[in-house]
Amino acid sequence: MFDFLIDGFGVALSPLNLGLAFLGAVLGTLFGALPGIGPINGIAILMPLAYTLGLPAESALILLAGVYTGAEYGGRMSSILLNVPGDAGAVMTTLDGHPLAKKGLAGPALGLSAVSSFVGATIAIIGLTLFAPLLAEVAVMFGPAEFFALMVFAFSSMAVMMGKDPIKTAIGAVLGVLIAMVGVDSGTGVLRYTFGLAELYDGIDFVVMIIGLFAISEILLMLEHANRKDAEDEMPPLGRVMVSLKELAHCKWTMLRCGLIGFIVGVLPGTGASVAGAVSYTTEKRLSDKEGTFGTGDMRGLAAPEAANNASAAGSFVPMLTLGIPGSGTTAVLLGALMLYNITPGPMMFSERPEVAGGLIASLYIGNVVLLALNLPLAGLFARVLTIPRWVLVPGIAILAFAGVYQLHSDLMAIYLMLVIGVFGYLLRKLGFSLAPVILGYVLGGLMEDNLRRALSISGGDLGILWQSGISIGLWVAAVALLVLPWLLPRVLRAWQ
Amino acid sequence: MKFAADRILGLALIGLAAFAAIHAWQLQVPFSYEPVGPKAFPIILSVVLAALSLVLVFRPGENGHWPNKALCLKLLAVLGVLLVYALLFTRLGFLVTTFFTVLVLARLFEATWLKALAAAVLMALGSYLLFTQGLGISLPGGYWLPDYA
Repeated sequence: MFDFLIDGFGVALSPLNLGLAFLGAVLGTLFGALPGIGPINGIAILMPLAYTLGLPAESALILLAGVYTGAEYGGRMSSILLNVPGDAGAVMTTLDGHPLAKKGLAGPALGLSAVSSFVGATIAIIGLTLFAPLLAEVAVMFGPAEFFALMVFAFSSMAVMMGKDPIKTAIGAVLGVLIAMVGVDSGTGVLRYTFGLAELYDGIDFVVMIIGLFAISEILLMLEHANRKDAEDEMPPLGRVMVSLKELAHCKWTMLRCGLIGFIVGVLPGTGASVAGAVSYTTEKRLSDKEGTFGTGDMRGLAAPEAANNASAAGSFVPMLTLGIPGSGTTAVLLGALMLYNITPGPMMFSERPEVAGGLIASLYIGNVVLLALNLPLAGLFARVLTIPRWVLVPGIAILAFAGVYQLHSDLMAIYLMLVIGVFGYLLRKLGFSLAPVILGYVLGGLMEDNLRRALSISGGDLGILWQSGISIGLWVAAVALLVLPWLLPRVLRAWQ
Repeated sequence: MKFAADRILGLALIGLAAFAAIHAWQLQVPFSYEPVGPKAFPIILSVVLAALSLVLVFRPGENGHWPNKALCLKLLAVLGVLLVYALLFTRLGFLVTTFFTVLVLARLFEATWLKALAAAVLMALGSYLLFTQGLGISLPGGYWLPDYA
């Protein structure tokens, strides 16, 4: 049963892939630590480079996955030291992490978060190893109707779980799906929303979309932070960099619990690290905050979101590798990276491309160890990244974005389009949207339409096929339950009391 | 103020939905082997989008802080720089355009002239060497410039 993992280690332990896993871990930690550049931006910027370097698919994926997990590590730096979350997943880390740093425990806080990240990720990677092949076996039975129901489920879980404003999450997702409609319709050859521009016939390119939406809009957003004083100027002294065994033992149950929570949240399609961090922190506060010390620099309050957000990163690979449905915004980007290589992730990947699936999972094990080894002793060095001024950072992002997009397309039109999408992304963010639903909608939209049309052409237009099998009925019920329960449950409880 | 922004957005999105639906409606489909065709899905999406936007119009949510006038000008300046970068990217080549782009961007992000100049020289040369020598990527040389390669 675990043949794929043994083969996978064979792939991941080749010198090239080992080096790439290491490089990904380092770059990811740096990207995560830099304010404003999270995992998605890091991957978006590196993806065209990895592709043009001619790396084989599994190697590119190993590099990018290393960046993803590394960024979840790096995101904590600015949360703890400056009270500014490095990315969305690290928001909850500020709550107890920064108070700890103020107490002069910045070093131990960084150490603890590295260890809890390691524990959380380990739990989730083991979960991925056990769970993914099983799910892939179920997923082989999925037909177009089941896939359509699954995507409806993914969208409803996203609307409920992601962001504080479900309406805007849903609108963002629909906009993403609409953007995916641009181009030639594969079924009939009809042009949709191309406005006579030949460059749009193939649709809005994935790399252009991602880099525009995330990197360019980030440049515009940073301009605002350049003027506003949002961080404390002085970085607190790190103190001793090692975390003591006693402190670790104090947090061991927190880490284990939150690793599990993070994994489950990660597996749910459409929900990523930010949700995992929030859910685990509130759960842990309810369970173990007996003295009301959470929020004032409690070690457990730091360990909880750190274990969870790394666990969710690994967990979100489960739906991506088995169903082709990304579990988070970042895996949506990775999914697109695979599509550059003409690999469509899905249930057949474990049997048809075991070197990709197995190699990726094996490299997650390796990357996780590398990250712990890097982050414990070198925390002080990585923390120095925080002092990189924005006037270096911003031109750097611009250079990488331009060179990357030009590299893939050798076409100025792609660069103009990237700028337009960047302005669009900036406006959305200013209007209180989060971008992850947009990108998920964009990635899933085409698949959703294809599966709907395929299902209905099998049935000759009879809508009944969409809820014929047990699997699809189950998914529809789950989707409706997700949408209705958060609204219904409090009312029922109140009536019952 | 923030309520108004969401209301306007809602109305704009309803307009977008109407446009998307009409566009899809008017598609000329010569023949189709399947019952759904390319029209139905975008039309369903437009209906969903319009419904969601209607909710936004009546129950607006929270917005971020809007930039003030000075910041707006800076935003436009940054966009302008990026646009000029794009316009001249192939014409003047990677090295020259990157140098000027980094210089102006660094100035816009409040670096001193000296720091901006240092950043521009180091980043333009450094990234050029990294891309061409290190990664073997070809960059535009600039067809407006005399060929000295």
